[in-house]
Amino acid sequence: MTTTPNPFEALGLPERPDLTDEQVRAAWRAIAAATHPDRPDGGDMARYTAASAAYAELRTPWGRSEAFADLADQAGDGPATAPIPVISGEEPPPALPWQPLLALTQVPARIRSGRPLRLAIRGLIAAGLALVVLQLIPGTPAAPADIGGLILWFVLTGRKDLAPPSDR
Amino acid sequence: MSVWTWLKFVTFLWLLRKGFKLARWLLVAVAAVAAWPVTVVAGTGYAAAWLRGWPPVRLYRAAAWTLIVTAAWLAALEASDPGFLAARQPGRAWGMGWDQLTMAGLARTFALLAPVALPAGLALAGLIWAWRIYAVTTGLGGIRASAPIAFDRRQWRRQIRTAKGLAAAPGAVPLLARGGHIPIGGTIRAVGHRWHPVLTLPATACTRHMVIVGATGSGKTNLMIRLWAGWFTATTAAARAGRGDRPLLVVLDCKGGRDARRKADRTRRLLYGAGARRVAVWPDEARLCLWDIPPDDLAVLLYQMIDSGTGAAAYYADMLQAVITLAVTAPCGPPLSTQAFLDRLNATWLAGAWNDGRHLAEAEHARAAARHLPDIQLRYATLLRRLGPALDSPGRLDDADAWYCILEGTRERSVAEAQAMALTELAAYTATSLDGKPRAMLLAADDYSAVSGRVPLSNLYERGRSLGIGVQVSAQSWEGLGATEDERYRIAATADGGVFVLNTPHPEPLAALAGKRRVLETAHRIIGGAWGDEGTTREQRAWAADPDLVRRLDVGQACYIHRGAATFVQVARPRPSPLSLMPPPAPVAPVPGPPVVPVPGPRSEPASGPDPWPSLASLDDIFGPESPR
Repeated sequence: MTTTPNPFEALGLPERPDLTDEQVRAAWRAIAAATHPDRPDGGDMARYTAASAAYAELRTPWGRSEAFADLADQAGDGPATAPIPVISGEEPPPALPWQPLLALTQVPARIRSGRPLRLAIRGLIAAGLALVVLQLIPGTPAAPADIGGLILWFVLTGRKDLAPPSDR
Repeated sequence: MSVWTWLKFVTFLWLLRKGFKLARWLLVAVAAVAAWPVTVVAGTGYAAAWLRGWPPVRLYRAAAWTLIVTAAWLAALEASDPGFLAARQPGRAWGMGWDQLTMAGLARTFALLAPVALPAGLALAGLIWAWRIYAVTTGLGGIRASAPIAFDRRQWRRQIRTAKGLAAAPGAVPLLARGGHIPIGGTIRAVGHRWHPVLTLPATACTRHMVIVGATGSGKTNLMIRLWAGWFTATTAAARAGRGDRPLLVVLDCKGGRDARRKADRTRRLLYGAGARRVAVWPDEARLCLWDIPPDDLAVLLYQMIDSGTGAAAYYADMLQAVITLAVTAPCGPPLSTQAFLDRLNATWLAGAWNDGRHLAEAEHARAAARHLPDIQLRYATLLRRLGPALDSPGRLDDADAWYCILEGTRERSVAEAQAMALTELAAYTATSLDGKPRAMLLAADDYSAVSGRVPLSNLYERGRSLGIGVQVSAQSWEGLGATEDERYRIAATADGGVFVLNTPHPEPLAALAGKRRVLETAHRIIGGAWGDEGTTREQRAWAADPDLVRRLDVGQACYIHRGAATFVQVARPRPSPLSLMPPPAPVAPVPGPPVVPVPGPRSEPASGPDPWPSLASLDDIFGPESPR
């Protein structure tokens, strides 16, 4: 993982992996023209060097996607790891029989690490519609079925807004 | 029949035809209004499918899911009103609804009928959408003759948008799905394959042979890393459940360079998240021992590592092979290090080793080869010195869960080729070794064409097949798969784990593997400068994996070809579950023992551009050490 400063910031570009080669080149040229050390005012060597380094990093689509991924990782989306060249002999722990039940305990963390806002909006829509159903047809057999359908919709569509469980 | 009578008859027929058509549309309109809750659901479903590029099967499945609601409703009705009188409820609710044509009344009727209207409406939407696709693609629907082209292009754009949205959702494309399947990304379009929102492959597909072809920057590495991490996760889960062996992933990054280190780091982070405990990056951090290979195989490998030529050089090649065999298979056992091997390429040593009275022929061969030994020793000393200590130190492949091996194929091709041969041989040895527990192995070669000069890819495949290890190979183009057209076809056609084609300028040979499908093509007759309603329809053959679509694939999009069908997919960037993050390992106390010789790292490229500011050391030169600044 790179530990250099944000290369997008150095070029004044938005942090997006889908920038084009032309956009990156134009941003670098603009900064280079304004800060080059050969300018009569002496330029700005530090900024010129930073922009050049950032351009070297971002000039290919692969480099941009990597830089973007590194930024996302630095922001806390990625794992914190360090090289493990020293090798010991431990084996992965075996699966526990109550693993499925333990998975339920992960749900709050999965919500937090997923897209909680979208999930909340989805939940609010389902809850709102359920209230409307209860208001319109209270006590009818269709009411629990409709509410059950809304819960089913929430569960089926909300799964993708949760972070994956730890074993996936 | 007079002309006037004929004209009246023709007009009558025209009116009759139009009348029937009008009556039909009126009937449809009446039915749509009468069954308005179903119409509302069907219209919504149709619009969603049109806007999001869904196939009709998506609506059918949604209809099937809503049957749960219907079942719950029926159960509730039966509980409140026993005797199967529930069947009358929808009709009663519908009839009452016409007396309350207010917003609240309509909403109430809809809520009462929703358990029936939802499955019926969604199924109807699926049928109408399927008919629309059929009609437009066969040329029956649409206003202009170019309607099929415009329709397909529009739907393709929408399918990509939907697939991208799915690939970006955190929980939609994890590293491992249910049933040990590896999710790849959001499905853009399935041609011949069964459609699923997310394309998943069984982990066993990786244990066979897989080919990945894509130009630089097409997202090939992302796809490969996802496949590795998915396979590793699935195999680890199976091993923990007692259904298989522990995984061993060996990646050969054959291009090397700075990018390779970054890829290695990404792969390692993912594998740690997937449950790996030991991920070694070779040669930067970990080493292997070439001399662990069994003597006979070692002799063949050492012979192959030297480019001995053909024709007049065949004599020398034979001599070389004989000497290597004598040195490695000596009665005292194989050499255990580079130096020990080089010491054996000596007339005195060989004579002493074989002159035990039981190996007269070998002793004679050693004497005959004596005058060539200095040359051979010089060649091997040069080669093994260039290979460096990373293959000459204690270390076994099965010491780690995964090895990321970086070969500098673009910088030092001959060295990288020799290293690739050695690593492949070590993988084969690990796969067949009876020491320790067996491992489920996947050997992945990224950009193998960079080192395939002396080891054709097909050899790698065949070895993998015979040893029961999965082999995954990537190349930048069709031409990169092999030296000859015959070899390329051999590699691609035997990829029983499937072929992934990303953006590449010449996808036709790979697209041909998906075969063709039968389609209907309609030709319209042009009448008076306009498209008439007469024409012919005939059966045609169209590519299952359209090469033009493959050529237009964007970064991260791939076409998966398997068993005569194709699925276009938006590959999701592999990310481990945030819940599986591990803290950095605690520093390990140094273990007393022999000192470890540091492995020299790769040569770093000189930094471009001037130094922005004098370094700290140079400031010390000016102000003196520890001076306040």
